[in-house]
Amino acid sequence: MSDSVIANYKLAKAPIYSHCFSQDRSVLAITLHTDCLVFKMVPNGKPQLVASLSDHDKTVTAVDMSVHGRIVTCSQDRNAIVWEPLSDGTYKPTLVLLRINRAATCVKWAPSGYKFAVGSSARIIAICYYEQENDWWVSKHIKKPIKSTVNCLSWHDNGIILACGGTDGYVRAFSGFVKGLDSKEQVSSSPWADKFPFGALIREWYNGSWIHDVQWRSSQEKLAFVTHSGSFSVVDPSDQIWAADYPEGLPLTSVVWVNDHEAVCGGYSCHPVLFTEGANGWQFSKNIDKSVAARTPVAASLDEEDQDEGASFGISALKKFKDLDLKGKVSTRVQECTHENAIEELAPYSGTGDQVTEISSCGLDGKVVIYRV
Amino acid sequence: MEDWRRIDIDAFDPDSGRLTKEDLKPPYPVAVGQAEIDSKISQLRSAATSGDFSTALTLVTSDPPYSADQAIKERYFAAVLSVLTQVRQAEISTLVKQLSSSQTDVLIKYLYKGMSCPEGQKQGGTLLSWFEKVTQHLGVAPVVRYLSDRNTV
Repeated sequence: MSDSVIANYKLAKAPIYSHCFSQDRSVLAITLHTDCLVFKMVPNGKPQLVASLSDHDKTVTAVDMSVHGRIVTCSQDRNAIVWEPLSDGTYKPTLVLLRINRAATCVKWAPSGYKFAVGSSARIIAICYYEQENDWWVSKHIKKPIKSTVNCLSWHDNGIILACGGTDGYVRAFSGFVKGLDSKEQVSSSPWADKFPFGALIREWYNGSWIHDVQWRSSQEKLAFVTHSGSFSVVDPSDQIWAADYPEGLPLTSVVWVNDHEAVCGGYSCHPVLFTEGANGWQFSKNIDKSVAARTPVAASLDEEDQDEGASFGISALKKFKDLDLKGKVSTRVQECTHENAIEELAPYSGTGDQVTEISSCGLDGKVVIYRV
Repeated sequence: MEDWRRIDIDAFDPDSGRLTKEDLKPPYPVAVGQAEIDSKISQLRSAATSGDFSTALTLVTSDPPYSADQAIKERYFAAVLSVLTQVRQAEISTLVKQLSSSQTDVLIKYLYKGMSCPEGQKQGGTLLSWFEKVTQHLGVAPVVRYLSDRNTV
């Protein structure tokens, strides 16, 4: 563990696919198997379990919390549930019928907290909002031209443009304009398009590999996305794309903007990675929470003998078995970083103004970690 | 319902549309034609005969015929394979280190393609030593990019 780690909570013995903090950071919600667990944060202590939301009957894939503290979960059982916090600390569930025939994969509240979007494997994004007259959450579909599973969603701060990325290799921006809820003033001077009818495709960018996460930088009118090929890209309204590759090469699953010129990504390498925008565009800048003694960056050891380099690459499993054979036990490998398995999701934790100073992460190892950037 | 994951749900909803191979093909502006490839192949051959493998490898790894049809790709690949197998073992490492990251990505595609077809498998040892040098130089990054790239050679 390095000094960039502020807190490290081992909350489960199973993967945490998604996590979310409330606005004041006093409540933490995580997904675990078919449940969503709600924790109360204790200063300098382990989070305290306060509620277990267990109405789903298949794996819960994502959780998000609105500005009002409402929790929304979506699951492979093809439904979403909105959980209204009650004064006695319990949550009142409301089922939202998404009308999809495959798993729901991701969910995001719009900044206003009055509607949310759910991505699914049915090549559909469902935009859901509450209808007073019927006392019912309505779901409207965006279908075309999505060709495959939607992996990730991000709302622009204006609450209308919705970016998504998926396994068809496209990043797309749609309009999620809901009549009666949104007004045209919200997008009056948007550089992305002139008209925003519901479901309209505003832009699309082809990358080719699976898109694992998209994130708006609304103040700059830019969109960042990360892919399974370990690349980080940023696009702007003129369709210019800046791309940077992560030198270690492992897939990136999540991205968070730190400020206008820096973004943190996380993925299969188990520790966050910082990308920075300089004079020559975006570039890999540094690893966060990775001990220096661990595997050397590949490019740094160019001059060494080939065999030396080979020793650090791909041999660890072989070495493990050799040790087991010769010594009868596995030599304890130095733990390189706090997460012991892939990072699934990053989120801003705290910051001042436009600058994020702390980020939170959850991973397949059942941990939630808070990093200093 | 134990095996619910195996239910063909598309059969219940014909309108939902299945994902086809065409759907996932990258959008190419123009297709590479026969004549273009023939000239590339002759360039490759002449570079290889004169022993200038550095030039040959640069040719191979820049601007591969992603948009060409399968027959043209096969013809081109045969030429590429002959270049790769003519290089002496000792030179491979030096040549690999001269390549840029995007060129290495293309090289890896040809290596995998070689290992997947009978002509290449006859030269398996050579291809594996190329592969070894690439991964020693750049780690797993080119392999991960190969796995997630839909442009095929």
